[in-house]
Amino acid sequence: MTTILANNRPDAEKLKAFENDLNKIREETMAKVGEKDAKYIRKIIRIQRSSEIAGRIALVLGFYNALFWVSGVVLLALSKILDNMEIGHNIMHGQYDWMNDPHINSRKFDWDIWGDGESWKRYHNHEHHTYTNIIGKDRDYGYGLLRLSDDIAWRPKNRFQFITYTLLSSFFQFGIAYHEVAGERIFAGKKKETSTLPITREELKQSFFGKIKKQVFKEYLFFPLLAALISWPMFFAVFVGNMIAEFIRNWWTSSVIFCGHFTEDAQTFDQAECENESRGEWYYRQILGSSNFVGSRAFHILTGHLSCQIEHHLYPDVPAHHYVDMAEEVKAVCKKYDIPYNTGSFLQQYITVVKRIVKYSFPTKQETEGMTVS
Amino acid sequence: MNALTHPSLLQKGWIWFSQALTQHGSFSAYFQPLIQMFVPHWSTDAYRAQIVEIRDEMEDMYTLVLKPKSGIIDNSWPIFEAGQYLELMIEKDGARTLRCFSISSSPAYYDRTGLIELSIRIQAKGRITPWIRQQLALGSLVNISAAQGDFILPKTEASKKLLFIAGGSGITPFRSMLQQQAMNKDNLNSSSSEFDIHLLYYSRDNQHIAFQHEFEQLEKDFPNIAVTFIDSEVSGFICADHLQEYCNDFSQRSAFICGPSPMIQQARAVLSDLGVAKDKINFEFFGVAPIEIENSEQGIVHFQTSEKIAVSEKDKAQTLLEQAEEQGLTPVSGCRIGVCHQCICKKKSGVVFNTRTQEYSDTGSEEIQLCISVAQGDVVLDL
Repeated sequence: MTTILANNRPDAEKLKAFENDLNKIREETMAKVGEKDAKYIRKIIRIQRSSEIAGRIALVLGFYNALFWVSGVVLLALSKILDNMEIGHNIMHGQYDWMNDPHINSRKFDWDIWGDGESWKRYHNHEHHTYTNIIGKDRDYGYGLLRLSDDIAWRPKNRFQFITYTLLSSFFQFGIAYHEVAGERIFAGKKKETSTLPITREELKQSFFGKIKKQVFKEYLFFPLLAALISWPMFFAVFVGNMIAEFIRNWWTSSVIFCGHFTEDAQTFDQAECENESRGEWYYRQILGSSNFVGSRAFHILTGHLSCQIEHHLYPDVPAHHYVDMAEEVKAVCKKYDIPYNTGSFLQQYITVVKRIVKYSFPTKQETEGMTVS
Repeated sequence: MNALTHPSLLQKGWIWFSQALTQHGSFSAYFQPLIQMFVPHWSTDAYRAQIVEIRDEMEDMYTLVLKPKSGIIDNSWPIFEAGQYLELMIEKDGARTLRCFSISSSPAYYDRTGLIELSIRIQAKGRITPWIRQQLALGSLVNISAAQGDFILPKTEASKKLLFIAGGSGITPFRSMLQQQAMNKDNLNSSSSEFDIHLLYYSRDNQHIAFQHEFEQLEKDFPNIAVTFIDSEVSGFICADHLQEYCNDFSQRSAFICGPSPMIQQARAVLSDLGVAKDKINFEFFGVAPIEIENSEQGIVHFQTSEKIAVSEKDKAQTLLEQAEEQGLTPVSGCRIGVCHQCICKKKSGVVFNTRTQEYSDTGSEEIQLCISVAQGDVVLDL
């Protein structure tokens, strides 16, 4: 059930103090942002570019030894994960706009994934980050495919939603590309009456296909053909290698993101209660709707620091590699005001996600009774 | 196929290919971070130059002597004309900052030595100019743009008599022009014809006159160069009396003015009042051109993507870039004076006034430069 925010929320006075404490963490961190951050993101970009180049070469060298091919797949997957998570996601949130670097800027950057960056920025930065976990408003909640809360009426198709989930994760990049197109009902469904789409429907369609065309050309035509110049069977080796690398990246990003908002204790909200929220109330809701998981530094980087989903939702435009330090302070603030702070190991959190998907595959008791009556 | 569309189709295809493979508009943008590991400061959109000398001209003015790099990895820096400026790009605390400076040495000097000079006045409360002086050491590398600007000497035979009016550090483009004239004359093979130049050089007092000895020497060596040093502390700003007293044939000369904005405005007004035609008055604002709008309208600027709103007040004209930054937005910005086109942004609707061209925009959707656009009434931006 959606959480009744007013029930457990600190009173107005405490909430104001809580807001100030969280603002202070942001200010203190932003004061530190500078040359180190520029060096950091450039280093990650260099690692990503190197692993992509090395990966593509290694895939072709699979011709000599299959081990090359395997390491090629791993390196390419690594490059895509870094590009999508720590680099693309964070740059496109505007975390590095202050660098004034035309290539590391939210307005220019596009990532190595089917989803068009412009489209993602529109729905993700706005819809998901403002209306986090509000049933009916945040379409990231279940992606219109999964029933993850009993606020959504059970439908027969939900019975198979674990299969839907595995398909979604396997083709996650298509999900990201299709999200806005689905929301605007470009290809199917009744045209939305209250669309805020800033571009025409035709432009949206073009950018949707345009990006997918480019990506498919690269992974499934150009690089396989290039390898085929050496020896024609290499076309398939590279084709399949690229596919597996994308598959690994898809599952990784999907799992990280699911652990951010769909864990057992991540709460959902009702739209009416979130209107005219104060900053403190918004902070409070963001914390209840998000969940963290712990890990090593390398692990955090591979998740694009979405392992600190709570901090990311509180401070979406602070350079993400500060989140780990900020998390300690946010946790302390939450403790001070007796606000739940959802964290655990990746595995623990992931198990609760799977539980949730399975649990809501079935109708609630009332719904079952209702069905037998009618 | 049309010969004109053919290359652009090719170019488009190449950009598509690069985007498909690298998600970047050019391959070099994708490879830049890797190239920089071996070639520091290498950049897709700038030239590299090495600092070979830093010379203090006065207590608050220094000259950077730069040697633009050339070779296999560096495109050679294109030639320039006396009077032009370039953008110096430096990274301070991880953030890229651009500043425009006139080149204070001549193209002839560059031909001979491969060096260019930038003479930089330290802004008392400036964030960048004092920092450059402290930070840059001999041998360090900086990024520069190609030279640009149309504050250059006339090319027609008709206008050989010139009046230069310089205020303070506004002397730098004139130093380049005078040096060009002097060096060309030294060079017997030179085909370039000679100008008759009179320079009125205003300084804030008699202690702060950059390049004073150099100009005194030029005046001695070249009969066609006259220099009048004017101490503003004693004689004040430019006025009709000064022109009549120091350069009474001013009406036959084409005027070139460079210095602080109020001084330029005054010099323009004085010359106009004395009947000098508008097309014979050339000027270069140092830094930001003042916003001259007759009736600035009140309105609301809507930054659509970030969902921020700014109110432009009636008599407090601000550029859209300033308004965006006040709202905490950080659009890519560069020179801040409308030359580098980095702060280009899509205007969805509304009228903006361009402070550089002094023109009003259309009401529809178009790309505008934020740093020189002032909202006229309500404006919606894709920012």
